[in-house]
Amino acid sequence: MTGLLAKAGLQLVLLLLVAPLFSGIIKTLKARLQTRRGPGVLQSYRDIFKLLHKGMVIPETASWIFSATPYIVFVTAALVGLMIPMTTTDAPLSLFGGVLAVVYLLALGRFFLALGGLDAGSSFGGLGSSREMTISAIAEPAMMLAIFTVALAASSTNLSEMAKVAVSQSWKFLAPSQMLAFAALFIVLIAETGRIPVDNPATHLELTMIHEAMILEYSGPYLALLEWGASIKQLVLMTLVVNTFFPFGLSSDWTARGLGLGLIFYLTKMLLLLCLIVLVETTNAKLRLFRVPELLMISFIFGALALISTFLF
Amino acid sequence: MTFFQNPEFGDRIITLMAALVLVLQIAAVGQRWLVSSIRIFAVQSFLLATIAGVIAYFNHASHIYVVAFLTLFLKAVLLPWLLEGLVERIGIRREIEPLINAPLSILIAGCLTLVGYVVAESFYHPEETSVRAALGHNTLGVAIALFLIGFFTMLNRRKALSQVMGLLSLENGLFLAAISLTYGMPLIVELGIFFDVLVAVMVLGILAFRIREAFDSMDVSKLRKLRE
Repeated sequence: MTGLLAKAGLQLVLLLLVAPLFSGIIKTLKARLQTRRGPGVLQSYRDIFKLLHKGMVIPETASWIFSATPYIVFVTAALVGLMIPMTTTDAPLSLFGGVLAVVYLLALGRFFLALGGLDAGSSFGGLGSSREMTISAIAEPAMMLAIFTVALAASSTNLSEMAKVAVSQSWKFLAPSQMLAFAALFIVLIAETGRIPVDNPATHLELTMIHEAMILEYSGPYLALLEWGASIKQLVLMTLVVNTFFPFGLSSDWTARGLGLGLIFYLTKMLLLLCLIVLVETTNAKLRLFRVPELLMISFIFGALALISTFLF
Repeated sequence: MTFFQNPEFGDRIITLMAALVLVLQIAAVGQRWLVSSIRIFAVQSFLLATIAGVIAYFNHASHIYVVAFLTLFLKAVLLPWLLEGLVERIGIRREIEPLINAPLSILIAGCLTLVGYVVAESFYHPEETSVRAALGHNTLGVAIALFLIGFFTMLNRRKALSQVMGLLSLENGLFLAAISLTYGMPLIVELGIFFDVLVAVMVLGILAFRIREAFDSMDVSKLRKLRE
């Protein structure tokens, strides 16, 4: 029991600390690629710290949902983070839920975020909520199909079991269905984290924003929680992609040496994925809103093909 | 490194590459920009050249190396370069009018892939083939899918140049089928095919340019006006 708590605590600390760092790295790398100097890597920490110490304005029309949303978003993201293998194959909360729990905890967070956007009573919030729901309605099944492909190959929906099977098979895990599933999940990752072809995290332009529109009325500590929660969600999804498709270097136990090696491998893989995301962001223009379903449709087809091709080979 | 001698490893690599080619092909169906579909074709050809190289390595067949090199040079470098030059000259970087809208085309491409796999399944008899012949057997499904999607692209597009892109991906499918089934046709046949494709692209390019000159558009359906 104490062991479980210690593991959960360790992973939670890693999750909370690393998430803003990765958001910062993305911003800095993007700025450098566009030959701007950009904010420092640690800017996200400073933002969160500053926001936590500020007062906040709560709209008069807001009900308890408005205040509950930041906590729910933050907690669901962190919980999902504990169910996913990060540096070891053995995720602390893997006993409590597998892939379905992960997908639906994220969906719960998203549901409340959309409600929070509506609850504030401004027209932008409602706009953002409706867009978010439109996108997630296609992104979610695509994500499920992609993950189920991997789950089928590992014959378990438990993420730790999947990681164990993946590690033991090493390069044999590279099958065409995995490739298709990776393509599907990568598109979902971009859509879910609000990155450029789908949403622009750096703008408050009313015509294009999705995530920013929903959290427009939030300020102070609530905004800090939402931003932090969003960066944790991003980290969690990236971890999911990295560790299910490229499980190299996941340590199988909780010894200090295994953890250290696992951490190094994990950070390297994540940095590579970060570079890929930044490249996609800088080389693509944002899609028109009505083109986004097309992109997600591609992702859905990839997911479906991946799942079907596991039965064909 | 026994790793690199293991035919199963080679099989994995080939299948992986073929899957990548397929992913790119489906992505190309939803593509609106002519230039990006040309670049997708270049990357596909590069992957095909790699597949040919891997097959040559595991079968110790030196003439397939030549095929791989030719693919790399002609289809991954020369043809894309020619086509991009043509696009530059015509001045249309964007191709907007597929007959069927993008989500539905992608759905159809997905179904065609399934058809490809199902058809390829009937060709696969593991009990009759030796271990060596099993190398890259999975790629036949991908090859047939590429072929069908290429056909579909040609039917679906109105502009002459994007129909050429369909033809090229169709040819890529044929190449993949040939190389994964027979481990390389005789070199003279391959050379003939390469030459054919090159000439076809050049002729079609000039044709597209002429159509554009005469009708101020690359829409081939306007050719119906040629009637009296």
